Amino acid sequence: MTQKNSENRYHLKLANISKRFGRTLLFKKLSLEVSSGEIAAVVGWNGSGKSTLLRIIAGLIRPTRGEIEYHENGNQINADERRNYIGMVAPALALYDELSAIENLEFLAQVRGLKIIRERYYSLLEQLGLKGWENANYGIYSSGMKQRLKIAQAVLHNPPLLLLDEPFNNLDTKGIDAVDKIIHEQKKRAITIIASNEQREIDYADRIINLSE
Amino acid sequence: MQTGLLTYLNEAKAIWLRDMKSELRTRYAMNAILMFAFTTLIAVSFSLGSFRISDSDKPFIYAALLWIILIFSALSGLARIFVKEEEAHTIDILKLSARPQSIFLGKLIFNLTLLGILGALLVPAFIVLMGYRIASPLYFVAVVLFASLGLGAGTTIVAAMIARASVRGALFSAVSFPLLFPLMITAIKGCEKAAIQTTVAGWNEVNICIAYLVIMITLSLFLFPVIWEE
Repeated sequence: MTQKNSENRYHLKLANISKRFGRTLLFKKLSLEVSSGEIAAVVGWNGSGKSTLLRIIAGLIRPTRGEIEYHENGNQINADERRNYIGMVAPALALYDELSAIENLEFLAQVRGLKIIRERYYSLLEQLGLKGWENANYGIYSSGMKQRLKIAQAVLHNPPLLLLDEPFNNLDTKGIDAVDKIIHEQKKRAITIIASNEQREIDYADRIINLSE
Repeated sequence: MQTGLLTYLNEAKAIWLRDMKSELRTRYAMNAILMFAFTTLIAVSFSLGSFRISDSDKPFIYAALLWIILIFSALSGLARIFVKEEEAHTIDILKLSARPQSIFLGKLIFNLTLLGILGALLVPAFIVLMGYRIASPLYFVAVVLFASLGLGAGTTIVAAMIARASVRGALFSAVSFPLLFPLMITAIKGCEKAAIQTTVAGWNEVNICIAYLVIMITLSLFLFPVIWEE
């Protein structure tokens, strides 16, 4: 498995990022630098572009203008390798309904070219309160359970860059506690970016990027 | 970590296996393809039968009917390969996890698997129901095999192109038709030859189908990452 070394230093640099959908300008000339151990929160009104910014950082959509660079120990990571460096949770991101939790995680590890021992899937699911539901199809999960599995897939490969769009969405207090532990573990070794307007999610941040300003 | 071609193939295999697992559990594409294929075949065999066409016309008409059924059955199901990811909102997780070339290869192999099942069931049924006599079975099998592979490659890249369009059904037919038309004509001609000639010199139609397949896969591997990332 390509576990990223916890002693590696990661750096994310956004330079003059702008995004426009047709005539609508979401944000312009947005710059940001975040390094390992930091948590940044992206806040702003509905429609200000929080989720879009996270999607741009993840490489799911392209910015209209600007550059994004990822560095590992000072060396730039190329676009083809980024998929193993990024973990993402977002309301619009879904897993496969007809596969079980274990099958979903196994599939995502295989397409990333990772060899993960089966115990890792079970321990991760247990950590997120999904013990006993490992072999149930994702399609029958409640919205809170789905959110827990989304968190599990995002941290499965210990990504140096974790993008969390409303991470507590649909979670009960036990779920929030589990995600809280994951965010604290992540902070020790890597970069976390949270998009939210919920104060308890913003409270994790070392710095805040307000897209409404 | 593995590198190079083997990595792509392993990732493609994972995508193919996932699609197969989903298909075996939902049977959406297979049901659509087989229902279309067999209802059309039965309609054609009942309306035409083997008695209303003169023997001299049979090789061409049967070849044309076989490929019309094959192509339209394929179009009814193979277009779903990327649309289902878009509709289920799983396209982002796939983009985040897999490389575009692996995704294309995995989806292509899945579509070829469906086409293989379709061909294995439909072609023998067509031969029996229509009383289709083939003089050169080897040539016939080669034409059906390579034209089907070309059909799979063509429909897979078109399916990727139309996945985000709002009028997917109409667009899929409109884009597929000019792309598949040369292949269809070649396949019909090849099957006609196989029905008439016991030994086919040159294997022209098979060679054209192989060339079409190679061109289509090569172009798709270059084109797909652009389509996929936009």
